[in-house]
Amino acid sequence: MPNGDIMKRSPQTQKLEDFLHSSKLVAGGFLGTDTRPLAEIIDADLSTLEQLGYTTGQIADRLAEISDKAKEGLGTRVKISDALEAVTQENRGVLVCPWPHEGHTTKTVTTLYHLPSGDSIQWADMCIHLIREHGFFQGHGSVFRIDPEKLVKIIFS
Amino acid sequence: MGLTLVSIFIVSSFSAVLAAILVIAERVIANYGECTITINKDKHITLKGGCSLLEALTSEKIFIPSACGGKGTCGYCKVTVNEGAGQLLPTEEPYLSPEERKNNVRLSCQVKVRNDMDISIPEELLSVREYSCELVDIKDLTYDIKQFRMKLIEPADMSFIPGQYLQLFTPKYDGNTEEVYRAYSISSDPKDKGYAETIIRLVPGGICTTYYFQYMKKGNKVKLNGPYGEFRMSNTNAKMICIAGGSGMAPIKCILHHMKNTGSTREAVYYFGGNTEKDLFLLDEMKQFEKDLANFSFVPVVAKPEQGWNGEKGLVTEAVLRNEKDLSKAEAYLCGSPGMIDASIVVLKNLGMPEANIFYDKFS
Repeated sequence: MPNGDIMKRSPQTQKLEDFLHSSKLVAGGFLGTDTRPLAEIIDADLSTLEQLGYTTGQIADRLAEISDKAKEGLGTRVKISDALEAVTQENRGVLVCPWPHEGHTTKTVTTLYHLPSGDSIQWADMCIHLIREHGFFQGHGSVFRIDPEKLVKIIFS
Repeated sequence: MGLTLVSIFIVSSFSAVLAAILVIAERVIANYGECTITINKDKHITLKGGCSLLEALTSEKIFIPSACGGKGTCGYCKVTVNEGAGQLLPTEEPYLSPEERKNNVRLSCQVKVRNDMDISIPEELLSVREYSCELVDIKDLTYDIKQFRMKLIEPADMSFIPGQYLQLFTPKYDGNTEEVYRAYSISSDPKDKGYAETIIRLVPGGICTTYYFQYMKKGNKVKLNGPYGEFRMSNTNAKMICIAGGSGMAPIKCILHHMKNTGSTREAVYYFGGNTEKDLFLLDEMKQFEKDLANFSFVPVVAKPEQGWNGEKGLVTEAVLRNEKDLSKAEAYLCGSPGMIDASIVVLKNLGMPEANIFYDKFS
């Protein structure tokens, strides 16, 4: 159960939202241009996910599986399935989870190419953590926001 | 509902007042007076207490590597505090290994100067300087990699060891509310002391790379500090195996300049990997190094070549395995992603190279 479903805007939530809006950790912040309260963003995405018949754990597991396989390519494109190829870009430094706990990941970005449509999506290792632990797919307009619907459609191809 | 809102308002107001009192108390009541920091049992600096150790050192022009500007989110600004640091803070714990904690290593941005302190820092950090520069050239190397060349203004020159890195400053800009520093290896010719050049790959969502790719133009002012790092060429005459990909080209290029400047006849092979031919760059410069250096060869490796590619194919590690035999007397210089470096180490050790002969600059 993600622990991001805070229903009231307590001072802690407000502090977290301010941090997510800031660009302390990523350019443009984790909430991008999204003005909805954090709880609303998370609830809306979890609701979409439920309708699609998936859990955050399943999504995070699949993203981690793709990233792990892509890392074996050492920066070159790797076949994930007949419809998918992926590549990782490992960058200097670490990303720290904006929630108040000890989570941090390397700055690794995975790009997944959906060959039939020519579409592609990108996520950082931190996104996997945010989805798994906090049910947070990030706000509209943020660099790594991926709509759950699009995510499900592509990653399980 | 109304009662809930009133309760939240009261609790929030109380918290805000309490926080304000603490801030005022910190500034007014907590007067730590003059504090002396002894560095490496040799140098002494005296300043007004109350600031972080990182700020104290920076104010004395002693630059400790720090990417996040002292917010405790990068874990780079480690120093050994022998005396006077107080208890380890929860904000430091995620970044310190048990060994580091045992050896009194602390995050200097989190440690406050409240009394006299005794610290140890690597001697070479005492020669790190801050430079104001002008960006004089930006060269597109691939679709997501650029080379930036800076003319040093004040101070006007920099001495560095080939393989070292510098930290580029990123100010606040549209969409970024934070000032940060990020580390990039120096790619320029070490004898070209009036300039600093680096190779940067665009990181999606990256605060610094977004700034340099989208906002910086020729003629703009740049602030940087350095040089830092222990990645460097050894003084032996052993054969060198260099392996890099992407912006990992930077320190290897710098080392090649140095070899040319010193008339090195050392045998060296440089394996440079990319996904497609579009990921390769500076090929003309590498060909020139092949002409200028007596025993140097450059081996570009492409994972997914188009028709007509006659060079090495596959992963860069596979090319090393195909081309090299006994490496028990050789040395390796690696720069790139942790995955590439880890895979290279396995291959090199399988070819007989002792681990002590493998030097790397890992992007982690």
